Amino acid sequence: MSGTSAARGVFGAVLILALWEVTARGFALPAYTLPAVTQILGAVWEHRAALQAAALVTGFEAITGYAIGALAGIGMATLLVLARPLRAGVLPLLLAINSVPVVAWSPLVLLWFGVGVSSKIVMVALAVGFTIFLSALAGFDRVDRRSVDLMRSFGAGRIGIFWRLRLPAALPLIAAGLRVATVRSLIVAIVTEMLGAYGGLGWIIYQSVTLIDFVQVWAAILVASTLSLAFFGAVGALERRFIFWR
Amino acid sequence: MNSAPLLELRGLSKRFGAVQALEGFDLDVQPGEFVTVVGPSGCGKSTLFNIVAGLDEPDAGGILRFKGRGCHARELLGQVSFMPQRDLLLPWRNVVDNAILANEIEGANRSQARAKALSMLPEFGLTGFENQYPHQLSGGMRQRVALMRTFLFERELMLLDEPFGALDALTRSMMQRWLLDVWQRHRRTILFITHDVDEAIFLGDRVVVMTARPGAVKLMREVNLPRPRAPELLTSPEFTAIKREVLDAIEEEAMKSFLTGTAAAP
Repeated sequence: MSGTSAARGVFGAVLILALWEVTARGFALPAYTLPAVTQILGAVWEHRAALQAAALVTGFEAITGYAIGALAGIGMATLLVLARPLRAGVLPLLLAINSVPVVAWSPLVLLWFGVGVSSKIVMVALAVGFTIFLSALAGFDRVDRRSVDLMRSFGAGRIGIFWRLRLPAALPLIAAGLRVATVRSLIVAIVTEMLGAYGGLGWIIYQSVTLIDFVQVWAAILVASTLSLAFFGAVGALERRFIFWR
Repeated sequence: MNSAPLLELRGLSKRFGAVQALEGFDLDVQPGEFVTVVGPSGCGKSTLFNIVAGLDEPDAGGILRFKGRGCHARELLGQVSFMPQRDLLLPWRNVVDNAILANEIEGANRSQARAKALSMLPEFGLTGFENQYPHQLSGGMRQRVALMRTFLFERELMLLDEPFGALDALTRSMMQRWLLDVWQRHRRTILFITHDVDEAIFLGDRVVVMTARPGAVKLMREVNLPRPRAPELLTSPEFTAIKREVLDAIEEEAMKSFLTGTAAAP
């Protein structure tokens, strides 16, 4: 991002926040409609200890599930590429599981893995796993047939071709999948927390709604989106650093 | 040359569905020889190369002998150094690491292979570019990296499939002289496909003209021009005489393939 476009982004954000503040204060909107920005920031500061603890729980669930899902997704795609016959049998099943929105599995996952952290990790791993699996598979398949032939003519076997050609060729697509999955991992962690949890930002949002504390809801949302942006930015930076050839 | 041929092809045929790509193709290639292959588009030149590279199996009945031993095409995988039309450099590898790809695949020691590649850079006009990536290079340089990769994979037989096809005329004639220079020093056997008759005669010890599909040998012409060959040769009467003969043969086949409509795909 160039200096001017960054400056424009900051300017736009400040403008929207100012408009928000003026609207909320000017029309004296009640907190359940739209609290003022300063009110939300005040609540974040006031509840900083609780929010920080919740952010740690949610962040842990999201990142752990993300790591497991990413490894499983890449691993499964690798397996299907190296063991071609497996592909015809397994791929339709995986696509069928994936055709149901991931959140639909959450009641079952809560039942099987309990209300604690592990059910959230499983849900995130499922959501991230499929995203990465599909982008990795597409990436592995995308290689130029002539490049495969060239490597074969050098005497390379299936594993050699995978390691030296398919995997690096797939990295741009895998990285794009990893970047998109960051936001997904936090969404799924928070939604699952709202269905039953002992802590976390989703749990705070749910609790605050039942307590009719809407400023607190907004405070938790603000923290969640900050977390999400930071995760997205970090993975995006790694992508730009390592996928230099695009 | 009276030694045993390095490569012998007898009655080689290949059919893809309804298309007979090759039929009864015969060719001997002597060790150290530079043989060029020309023919109308779609005459099965690439099929021929894919067979000799080990990528495609010929139909039953033909004979394929390498180093005096009859073999299946697939046994040639890893035995022949093959350079396809496009450079197919890997964008995530720098010049040196692209050049040593084949050596890496055969399990060579990486740092030794790199050292060897580095020492060959000047010869390939790539000095100072060892750490560049393919997208930072010109078309001619990329082609030289691909050639270097082919040379570093030290096999007696090299297959070059229109390596200079995508280059502009000037770069192309420089690369031709350069290739002859390198070949004279390394003395590998080269089988070289091209569309360009001048290129075929300028480079080759022998020019093979292929018939329209199904591909077979139309004309085998020795090029008894002295080496080293200089650009002036292109306008000499001896060169022109050979060129007329080759062009006549190609013309006849091109007409045939045009009339029967088999010139569709290369």
